[in-house]
Amino acid sequence: MTQTQVQEYPEITITLNVNGKDFTVNVKPYERLIDVLRYKLGFLSVKEGCGRGECGTCTVIMDGKLVPSCLVLAVQARGKKIITLEGIAPQGKLHAIQKALLDTYAMQCGFCFPGVIMAAYHLLSKNQNPSEDEIKYALSGNLCRCGSYLRFVKAVKLAAEYIRKGQVYFDLKKVPP
Amino acid sequence: MYIPKDLDDALEYLDKNAPDAIPIAGGTDVLIQIREGKLKPKVLVDLSGLKSQLSYVKRVNGKIAIGALTSVAELDESFLVKDKRYLGFADVSAKFASPILKPLATIGGNIGVAVSASDYVTLLHVLNVQVKLVSVKGERVVPLEKLVVEKRTLAKEPNEIIYEVLFDELLENSSTAFMKFDRREMIITGYVTCATYLQLKNNVIEDVRIAFDRVTRRIPGRAKKTEDFLKGKEFSLDVIRQAYNEVLPTEMKRKSDFRASAEYRLDMSKVMMKRALLKAKSRIEGGV
Repeated sequence: MTQTQVQEYPEITITLNVNGKDFTVNVKPYERLIDVLRYKLGFLSVKEGCGRGECGTCTVIMDGKLVPSCLVLAVQARGKKIITLEGIAPQGKLHAIQKALLDTYAMQCGFCFPGVIMAAYHLLSKNQNPSEDEIKYALSGNLCRCGSYLRFVKAVKLAAEYIRKGQVYFDLKKVPP
Repeated sequence: MYIPKDLDDALEYLDKNAPDAIPIAGGTDVLIQIREGKLKPKVLVDLSGLKSQLSYVKRVNGKIAIGALTSVAELDESFLVKDKRYLGFADVSAKFASPILKPLATIGGNIGVAVSASDYVTLLHVLNVQVKLVSVKGERVVPLEKLVVEKRTLAKEPNEIIYEVLFDELLENSSTAFMKFDRREMIITGYVTCATYLQLKNNVIEDVRIAFDRVTRRIPGRAKKTEDFLKGKEFSLDVIRQAYNEVLPTEMKRKSDFRASAEYRLDMSKVMMKRALLKAKSRIEGGV
């Protein structure tokens, strides 16, 4: 039996700015942003859940907008500024949202966390005193299989409080494990 | 993947390569279709680079024009959601997918998808929308009802692109409303969705348009017999009740599926129609 020849598409060179650094990568035209971020650039916080924009685990911030990276082709993200979970706090520090999530014991399995934190980060970067409804709406695109939703709301409120007090980053060593 | 320089370039490329090449805007539907193997294009023409040209909401000579690449998030920032006559747009957006899809999903894409869950199509039906299509041969304007002919089928050539959506500015004494009914209301298609347009004068219905996610076929459509029955009558609950009990069932053919039965859907259509009309009326009177 002869195998049918599959025509391979030529690669396209694009430039991405991820977390403030420029990367030039060769991508296949069918590769999604999530594939490039995870497998070519090594940003492993971007997780694939459903692959169709329903669960929100792969959420990243692209040019100031919250988007699911599984529904953006890498080529469509050319020249855009992307922020992933790795980019919200400097090395060795925790962002207030992460600290607040730990403080409220919100973590169960933690798979949805990258998406939840990005959604919360996006909300708090615009509004440092969100109401409960605003928090619920902002996180409504993120599904959590363990059902920690109420704790997320609590945590985002706490994080907003931290940020209003000026405590945006926390030293990783001083946060109890 | 083909990245066009501008609109003309995209149109020329499509003209030469369609139907092997299909346009992609937000990608929230095309990419899922490809992933599920339902669509196998050889080339995608990326329209997202044309956003600066095709993303707008503006008033032109007594009409409102919405560019096809206007995303749902951009519609939320436009004057449409602040004007009481167009609050139907705010309703759709409030029930539309999830916050992370809104910056990607476009109104032209919603028309291009053309399924009964395309909420904007249901709303645009009550606004008597004209859709402008462009191709290398020029542009033509088609009424939405003639464009969306069957599920996932548009009466457009493969080399044409949806350019903009046009509709007449509404009168002061009119308003729109949209309702979706399901167990939860986001990231879901809705058992029943209903959009209404109402024009009142001294509590008499001057003009009314009602659209459902499904009337006879598997695409959004208007309930025209019910509209005709209501026109010229006084706005009261009794009249609406008569309309949905006696007229609506004669023209609506609902289907049962694993999510809801036809009888239930018909019943809920009646309720949604009543609520959406009342909502439109309260908006005309200055409420929300």
